[in-house]
Amino acid sequence: MRVEEIDSQRRLNIGMVSPYGWDLPGGVQAHINDLALYCMAQGHQVSVLAPAVDEGSLPSWVQSVGRPIAIPYNGAVARVTFGPVANRRVRRWIQEGDFDLLHLHEPAIPSLSLLACWAAEGPMVGTFHVSAPKQKAIYAVGPILEPAIEKLHARIAVSQTARTTLTEHLDTDAVVIPNGINHQAFSEGDATDEFGRNAIGFIGRFEESRKGLSILLAACEELLKKRIDFQVVVAGPGDPTEFVEKCSDELRTRLHFLGRVSDSRKQQLLRSVAVYVAPNTGGESFGIILAEAMAAGAPVIASDLPAFVDVLDRGKAGVLYTSEEMSELAAKIEELLDDSEKRAELSLAGKSRAQIYDWSVVGESVLDIYRLITATGEKVRLGSELRFSRMRSGLGRNG
Amino acid sequence: MSLLLFGLLIMMLLVVWYLSFTATRLDRLHHRVETSWANLDAALKTRSALALEIARSNLVDPATSMLLLAAAHVAVVAGQEERGDAEGELSELLLSLLAEEALESDDEIFNELKSARDRLRVAIALHLEAVTRTQAQRKRPLVRLFRLAGRAPLPVRYPFEDIEV
Repeated sequence: MRVEEIDSQRRLNIGMVSPYGWDLPGGVQAHINDLALYCMAQGHQVSVLAPAVDEGSLPSWVQSVGRPIAIPYNGAVARVTFGPVANRRVRRWIQEGDFDLLHLHEPAIPSLSLLACWAAEGPMVGTFHVSAPKQKAIYAVGPILEPAIEKLHARIAVSQTARTTLTEHLDTDAVVIPNGINHQAFSEGDATDEFGRNAIGFIGRFEESRKGLSILLAACEELLKKRIDFQVVVAGPGDPTEFVEKCSDELRTRLHFLGRVSDSRKQQLLRSVAVYVAPNTGGESFGIILAEAMAAGAPVIASDLPAFVDVLDRGKAGVLYTSEEMSELAAKIEELLDDSEKRAELSLAGKSRAQIYDWSVVGESVLDIYRLITATGEKVRLGSELRFSRMRSGLGRNG
Repeated sequence: MSLLLFGLLIMMLLVVWYLSFTATRLDRLHHRVETSWANLDAALKTRSALALEIARSNLVDPATSMLLLAAAHVAVVAGQEERGDAEGELSELLLSLLAEEALESDDEIFNELKSARDRLRVAIALHLEAVTRTQAQRKRPLVRLFRLAGRAPLPVRYPFEDIEV
């Protein structure tokens, strides 16, 4: 087999598989959506296979395999689809798609991606998004997954942390390609002054304790004792009652819960805050929100989780504090609110750091991998028939 | 008695199925190694070609040009045996060339070289993964006992794959 020159002009027919419901909010779906749009903008053809609650709402390039069902998995509720009907649809999609390659997201959890990985043969890429320590229990099933996982020609981990999880639990290495952001959408646009000049931003599902909102609020109580003026802006879905009840009366007047916000509103908020704080306590494999905040020019303070340390370039593009140390966090916030020069410096450093997460860079790296594994011109096809035809032609062809 | 025979038959079938399953896995792995090696080979050739082009241009000083020309030429004509060393030397040379801050030229070819280097890194990573995995599978006693790998050669790693390119 020879590959003389890797053809960078070739138009690829790409099949992507999403494990989670397409019309449900989630980082993985958002990532697949952006990647698919990028590939299509480069002239490639993309078809995404995903579970969906409402099939009518899907764009033409997304195919549904039916409604996702909620199953408890890894300490959370995963909304995925599998079973005989899904399996049949996966096989039909592979057969009719005539794909040059498949890109399976999160193929190590029981989901559509795993089904596709079992069924297909040929060039396949897998992206691993998760990297929670909780995953240990799940990766204990490694040996069962191995025959499927080893079919992947290339594995992508979204961060060094995700890669470590993979090497430790599935005994396999991966190329690190981060998640992408649309840099321009964050860096260019108007700001709002409705929360004053000293706004502290927080975005995410604040109800999950690992997102660390209670740590931020505790730090804010300390700031109040020092008579520092600020406002806290929290955006994200969830019920704030529990947090509001615990706050002092003074903090309550300075606390704004905006609920779920649109993308453009999120971008505007990030451009407006004086500092963005990510007080997460664990379970983060990447931290896309940090990249987004940096692109928007918000000075970032984040806990020193390995994934965050990477994104902030070991503290060069943002401020790090020891995770769960609220007084240290309070001190860092105070320092930044007092020092507008330092803020301007961080804002610039962050903006330039965030360039490496722009889709023009990230998408190209992914396409490079696509080109590598499709260089032989082999197509994706269903596995089982081939298996028997190969059996007849003799075991273990001589390479 | 017939029940026992039936049980034995089922057992046999299971064993045969598992053997064929494992053989298919191995076959697929060997196929992956072939593909990833072909890719690596192509990436190396692209790099040599770029090195030659740089050597023949006026973008670097004559001494560097000569070194590049020699190293790239050796890498291109090297047989399987010497290939490892030759590519390794070229890697080091290009590494020092690209690392040099004094590189004044922002000629397009250096960007091309950089992206060729990035692709090569990925190609090496993919190849190593495929090789390691295949080697691990072929070490299994079951695979050895039943010679499930057939006559496929055991994939090997080259020393140059470990150095930074």
